[in-house]
Amino acid sequence: MYLREKKTDGSSLPIENHLISTDLFFRRKGERMFLKSKPLWGKRPRLKSSYDAVIIGGGLHGLATAYYLAKEHGITDVAIIEKRYIGFGGAGRNTAIVRANQRTQYNVPLYKEALDLWPVLTKELNFNLMFNNCGNLNLMHSEAAMKAARMTIATAQFHGVESHLIDAKEAKELVPALNISEDITFPIHGAMFHPPGGIVRHDAVVWGLAKGAARLGVHIHQQTEATAIHTEGGKITGVTTSRGRIHTPRVLVAAGGYSAGIINQMLGIKLPISVLTIQAMVTQPLKPILNHVVSSGAYHCYANQTLKGEIATGAHMDPWPNYTTQNTAHYIKHQAEALSDWLPCLRGVKFMRIWGGLADMTPDMAPIMDGNDPIEGFYMDCGWGYFGFKSCSATGKYMAQFMASGNCPDMLKPFNLRRYENHQLMGETAALVNYTPDN
Amino acid sequence: MALTLTCPICGKRNGYEFRYGGEDKGPRPAEEGLTPRDWCDYAHMNKCVAGVQKEWWFHRDGCGSWFTTYRDTVRNLEVDAPEANK
Amino acid sequence: MTRLNQLPTLRVNPSEKVSVSYRGKTYQGVAGDTVATALFANGVRIFGRSLKYHRPRGLYSLDGECSNTFMDVDGVPNVRTENTPLKDGMVVKEQNVKGSAEFDWMGFIDKLDFMMPAGFYYKTMHKPAAIWPHAIKQIRKAAGLGVISPDYKMKGEYDEMFLTADVTVIGGGAAGMTAALAAAESGLRVVLLEARPHLGGCFDYRASKYTDDTPLYARARDLAEQVEATENIRVFKHTPMVGAYNNNLITGFQVGGKNDVFTERYIEIRSTSVVVATGCIERPLLFDNNERPGVMQVGCAHRLARTYGILPGREAVFSVGHDLGLEAAIDLFDLGLKIACVADCREDGHDPELMLALAERQIPLLKGWVAAKAHGKTVNKVTLTTVNGMVKRVFSCDVLVASAGLSPVTGPLVLAQGKMSYDSHTGYFLPSTLPERMFPAGRMTGVNNPLSIEASGRLAGLKAAAGCGKDLETAIADAQKAATALPGPELGSKLVTAPVKGRKSFICFDEDATVKSVKQAIDKGFDVPELIKRFAAVGLGPGQSGIPGHNLPLFVAKYTAAIGTPKSTTVRPPLVPTFIATYAGAHHHMFKRTPLHVSQKAAGGVFRNIGVWQRARYFSKDFDCREEILNVRNNVGLLDGSTLGKFRIHGPDALKALQRVYVSDMSKVKEGRVKYSAMCNDDGCVIDDGVVVKQGENDYYFTTSTARAGATVEWLRYHTRYDGWSFHLVNLTDALGVINLSGPNARKVLEKVTDADVSNEAFPFSGCREFTVGGGIPVRAMRLGFVGELSYELHVASSYMQAVWDMLWEAGKEFNIAHFGVEAQNVLRMEKCHIILGAESEQRTNLLDVGLGFLWDRKKTDAKTVGAVALRQAEGDSGRLTLVGFKMENSERAPRDGAIIVDTRVRGYVCTARKSFSTNEAVGMALVESQLSDIGTRLEIFEDECNGERLYAKVVPMPFYDPDGKRMKM
Repeated sequence: MYLREKKTDGSSLPIENHLISTDLFFRRKGERMFLKSKPLWGKRPRLKSSYDAVIIGGGLHGLATAYYLAKEHGITDVAIIEKRYIGFGGAGRNTAIVRANQRTQYNVPLYKEALDLWPVLTKELNFNLMFNNCGNLNLMHSEAAMKAARMTIATAQFHGVESHLIDAKEAKELVPALNISEDITFPIHGAMFHPPGGIVRHDAVVWGLAKGAARLGVHIHQQTEATAIHTEGGKITGVTTSRGRIHTPRVLVAAGGYSAGIINQMLGIKLPISVLTIQAMVTQPLKPILNHVVSSGAYHCYANQTLKGEIATGAHMDPWPNYTTQNTAHYIKHQAEALSDWLPCLRGVKFMRIWGGLADMTPDMAPIMDGNDPIEGFYMDCGWGYFGFKSCSATGKYMAQFMASGNCPDMLKPFNLRRYENHQLMGETAALVNYTPDN
Repeated sequence: MALTLTCPICGKRNGYEFRYGGEDKGPRPAEEGLTPRDWCDYAHMNKCVAGVQKEWWFHRDGCGSWFTTYRDTVRNLEVDAPEANK
Repeated sequence: MTRLNQLPTLRVNPSEKVSVSYRGKTYQGVAGDTVATALFANGVRIFGRSLKYHRPRGLYSLDGECSNTFMDVDGVPNVRTENTPLKDGMVVKEQNVKGSAEFDWMGFIDKLDFMMPAGFYYKTMHKPAAIWPHAIKQIRKAAGLGVISPDYKMKGEYDEMFLTADVTVIGGGAAGMTAALAAAESGLRVVLLEARPHLGGCFDYRASKYTDDTPLYARARDLAEQVEATENIRVFKHTPMVGAYNNNLITGFQVGGKNDVFTERYIEIRSTSVVVATGCIERPLLFDNNERPGVMQVGCAHRLARTYGILPGREAVFSVGHDLGLEAAIDLFDLGLKIACVADCREDGHDPELMLALAERQIPLLKGWVAAKAHGKTVNKVTLTTVNGMVKRVFSCDVLVASAGLSPVTGPLVLAQGKMSYDSHTGYFLPSTLPERMFPAGRMTGVNNPLSIEASGRLAGLKAAAGCGKDLETAIADAQKAATALPGPELGSKLVTAPVKGRKSFICFDEDATVKSVKQAIDKGFDVPELIKRFAAVGLGPGQSGIPGHNLPLFVAKYTAAIGTPKSTTVRPPLVPTFIATYAGAHHHMFKRTPLHVSQKAAGGVFRNIGVWQRARYFSKDFDCREEILNVRNNVGLLDGSTLGKFRIHGPDALKALQRVYVSDMSKVKEGRVKYSAMCNDDGCVIDDGVVVKQGENDYYFTTSTARAGATVEWLRYHTRYDGWSFHLVNLTDALGVINLSGPNARKVLEKVTDADVSNEAFPFSGCREFTVGGGIPVRAMRLGFVGELSYELHVASSYMQAVWDMLWEAGKEFNIAHFGVEAQNVLRMEKCHIILGAESEQRTNLLDVGLGFLWDRKKTDAKTVGAVALRQAEGDSGRLTLVGFKMENSERAPRDGAIIVDTRVRGYVCTARKSFSTNEAVGMALVESQLSDIGTRLEIFEDECNGERLYAKVVPMPFYDPDGKRMKM
């Protein structure tokens, strides 16, 4: 075949009339796909002395908020201050499950919007977020659980989100590996099946959003630690970092599990949060065997198969505050026992890698998104427990709206910090608080 | 093991024998004049210290006593009480 | 192939034949072979195909450092055949191939590698959007290595063992063995873990000198004999260590031998001190096609011959960076391997004795040379080059023994939170901070001299013993002196890659990540090893950090010319991939059963797991429980309520404690009468309800719900922890059982079994009486109204329960007594609008919301009752969920529990609803926002799958059945 060589002025020349091998043709095309020397989110920016907005935390919520601030509100003079590297925290550690079948009517619309945004973001960012809407099954192990599922399913259906209650046999048809016999600790009665949910490649979302935000002018400062937040007369005036001081009228703390500690340490504001270590693991890669995300409340366990073939599983949290992100022998054994019960074929599979992350738990299993109260210009987005990934795009959009206008969007109003002192727990879990969140 | 805690009656035991009871916030405030904010501060708000904090623990699989101890949440290890002048 | 059957280093038994079946043919191996060595001995060179490019792969490390030799064995996928012992009759299959490992149709993908640079999948397959779902299917099919069937049943027995040790030694080589012996001298309990089936480590297969008349392998066997003869050393062979946690908790798993009852056994050790003597693996050499079948590491080649009696090939080329490579070449030559040439990337620093030995054998040695490229589908030629890439030479061979140097196995130290930093002398990442009471020893510290290895082992063992409190100051000082006098850490080779572009130089075999892809990742801004790992998928496969762990940071430092030294990457458990079955161990299902479990089962009870208990939910196949329900309403029924929490509280401050946790004024409880009350949490939500009975001054007996029984003592003591009160709590939950005798004929039955006066006058509703039944069995009886009929709740010592049950059953026969289960009880109480916590209450509802406000005594503020503040502050708030009773417009159709109540948005939900057989109406209880709670309000009900069609109901007064409560007071 003949190749034409493009000149910089757009005209073209045939290459020497040689017969070029197919190999070379594709090689050139492949290499052009990747502009070899250009970093994905630009070169390391210098830290300016002032910005229109400073976001502490380079995870999914921080990146999403910055992206939408720039994209939808024209606020591009934004600095993301990230202590380590983007995606270091929960963003890079979660097992990437997405769904919109939450319990209450305050949460469903937010998560639904986020779920619908995955294909949209993929296109906007021109980055494959690898959204696989394989559907989620949430197993129920008692009549009471089936009833609780009904309530959640009715709520979902009422909001136009697809969700169905299925019995054990139907669950087994969807998940042939499921053990629906009676002789396990928590026999399966049925499941809540949510077809639009699935998994996304979490690293891709981090890199895609970083790429998108950086292209719009946002400065992403990695290896930069925020050490103080400054206020005067009840208003935000700036932030001090390990690389210098920044003046700004707006600060958002979206630092995942580290948020509560930062907010208390730097501003003296306490939060109804307990930061636990949550663990997860993957098995060695297998050919396709699990076609849906399956989770079980009774077993404190979920499993899904990544695109690489690994079974990702997890969910356990030691119920005490713990910033280590370390694993425990107790968890690994517990996980193996649980999987041995409801996915017994996995007994012949090996655990390959185990890791941990932080889950900042609130008493009502719903996040805290608030701003301008008690400090004008100060915004917080935290308390996401182990479900922050699912909503990051929609949350970023609404937090950006909040920060740009100064007015709380209706979507976020129920998530204010004051709801606790007003005795208005959100009820995203039915469970009562004993001593601390998640305990 | 991994985490171990020292029960005042039973001594050093495996952490999983215990139940966590929260940051130490002192005795229950009197009901008189307690505002919703004060109540919420006592009932729900936490400092979430990344470091040493004083906590309550219950020896569930043992003697059944509640006690306080100090634990470094960054290393998840029980530590001695910090010096009085710290 | 003929094997070397006479070597003194052999760990196989050539006279015992073992067979393995592969691709329809049966091959002979010998006892002690691994699956891979047996196949290798029979000429198999290509064991599988790599994940991404389907490149042929073969034996490389012999220790399972990568997935090269992963095969399906007897239906189990991803088995590391190179270190899995061969059992007679095993059936082996290749994985991840279309065709065979030799001729894989997918092999063409290798030519398309340029289309798949690092992270290419983020840039493709999403445009146009429609192709992505199809791409997902293809990616999933191409990904993954092994296959497991959804019906697969793991064979074998799995067990678990929990040990406590003073000193745990990880690694049974020379350093580990001397450490164990040193620690054992003080009489401590020592546990020694060795991953291979035999002790001996790096001495085991080598003939070079320990002393003039003792070769290393003899020394290894001698040490092993000493160790196994020492009573206080417990040796676990074939036991890889997989995890290390705070406080020196060590985990591993033992592979069962021929005479063990377990297939694999999970082992957890609580240890005071730990010695880590895990030695070194080899640092892979990076050159083009460095992972071809026929390319193998020094240890692999050497052990194939010495341990298994199999020469690695006919003619070899060596490309090494360490004296062990030279030693192996000499030894293998003596065993019959032809050697075309030995290239050593070091210009100098070679052991002169080894140089002499090479010269004596006329083996060409090229100093400052390294392999540049391996040729052939399995190696048939090698291009060697000078380290600067200027001069090239080509050699024919069928095996290329390649290694850049050594890498210490520091995994256990990192898992235990030790910090590693780069040491420029050895080229290793060595510990800069050590975890408490954890001591490294042996080759992993950088030493290579056999005496140095042993000296460091002894020193570590003594330090470990000192960590257990033994006074060994002098011994340690002596051992330190001895160790310092011997050769220290050796200068390591710093060669990172051969002078090639690296397009086919594989830095991670499992993920097919090349040097070139790492460069691409760095160029894209992923300039930290942790990020490269994720973006270029380096070290994320089954071998984890085994192959790339050392090379990646070295390469990144070199390529980015980073200021500062290379930084090591994180390590996570398990250090060796472990079966889920092994971790699960001997998992048992355990439940609590009531004293009546057996008889309830015999009577046809259908049991469910409720919390930690097994309870009978139904007694017939009719899950509507019509018969059970009507029998209670019309005759009399028996229910086992034994799971109820039961407690005694007594002591000078017992009443104060009750006042703190119960919302009612407990001082009003009178002897002989039952008081129903509730406990709230600080949000004012009902956390428990039950009845309280006064037994005497400051002496009470109270019940709790089944679910809260385990937390009651904890709760009471928590909320009184600052007060210094004196009271005792006795948990009687298991000591007593409870029988509910309910129905209009209940008294008639009771009269037949007791002489006590149980007339309505003597024992009215809400009364509590103690008497005997059956001529002597003590019973505490309470008249309660949970199901809305004449009911007696009988509290009986557990050991008497069956007897009382049987006598009531006999007595009740003439009154049509029948069992009823938890579900029937659920409906009966629903008809009376009595709440069940968790059904009619939840996190958003407080005591007032669920209609129990009448229990709350507001005046007792001194008691600082838990929940009172929240109740007071929330009182009067509008919009709170409120419990209401409702009646359906269609009396035949009750909504399913959980249906939501709506208008333009969700306003509440149905808690419990049934077609009531007692009232012939469809009724239920629901939680709705307070604005909808007035009697007469019309409710719109949205059920799941209703397709928009609503059901309608009206709010009605509660309860539905017997509103005046006459029936329970008769």
